[in-house]
Amino acid sequence: MIATSYFLSVIFFLSLGTLLIKCSFMLASDKITLSDDLKKLFSYIPAAVLPAIITPMVVFHEGAVELFYGKERFVVLLFATLVSYFTKSMIATVAFGLAALYFLTQLM
Amino acid sequence: MLPITAGVIPFGLVMGTVAANANLSLLQTTVMNFSVFAGASQLATVDLMSKGLPAFVVIATGIIINLRFFLYSAALSVPFKGLPTNIKLSGSYLITDQGYSVTVANEHLLNNKQDKLYFYFGASILMALVWQASVLTGFIFGNFAPTSWSLDYAVPLSFVALVLPTLKNRSYFYVGLLSASLSLLLRSLPFNLGLLVSALTAIALAYLLMKKEQQQ
Repeated sequence: MIATSYFLSVIFFLSLGTLLIKCSFMLASDKITLSDDLKKLFSYIPAAVLPAIITPMVVFHEGAVELFYGKERFVVLLFATLVSYFTKSMIATVAFGLAALYFLTQLM
Repeated sequence: MLPITAGVIPFGLVMGTVAANANLSLLQTTVMNFSVFAGASQLATVDLMSKGLPAFVVIATGIIINLRFFLYSAALSVPFKGLPTNIKLSGSYLITDQGYSVTVANEHLLNNKQDKLYFYFGASILMALVWQASVLTGFIFGNFAPTSWSLDYAVPLSFVALVLPTLKNRSYFYVGLLSASLSLLLRSLPFNLGLLVSALTAIALAYLLMKKEQQQ
């Protein structure tokens, strides 16, 4: 169980920070115009942030399948990336990944 | 409009399931869902909270993930120019990956400021409703899904589906690759600092690549 005070402090500051980011340019829109350079740089944010979250999550997870040296989550993710690329669908990506992992860890 | 909510449903189901597996109560999940209202950061922070990491680490990680809202806030701000603050605030609160994408994708069909605002609010409110309902469903379902289904694995999977469409060309790919490799090398840094350093270094690379492109 996650302690209430710990939970609430995380939620409070995370909500506040997130809303401030979301409001930033909306509220300033009357006063400033964003340069194209900065807009372009902002478009790199997902590419710069998300892979750094995904990779350690799947590479260092304790695995169970000897064939892939316990790295079945990483291996499945590589294939799921292909599925995602070709289908452009979150449902297909998640469904494929979960089914493939289940197959590798439970049925093989 | 249906295709975009179709992307929110699995994400919400995953969020609800992960929250249930992390032993969050329904009240905690709902409070988080309404106050933070940013799925990717919620997923990551619930994961970190269940591992008991210090609060400031969890908060910093969530904020880093949500830095992309700077991009959306800037892109969506144009039709909000000159409007009252409360409208700007509600528009800001409602910003989501999907609301942003669908508005930007349909911008050429919307002739004036009012149409753009109606479209944005319509899409975003629908998105918010579907999101809340999906999280609730996931929460109820997640409470009795067996652990052998490894539903927590849906977190990195859904992040893959989020990041792939943003890799528009080779430069974006290099930035993503650097971010991924650094995060592995820096994994043993304390307080999840590896994420911060990897993300900032990858942004620095993005800046250099942009400058190089402009010189050519």
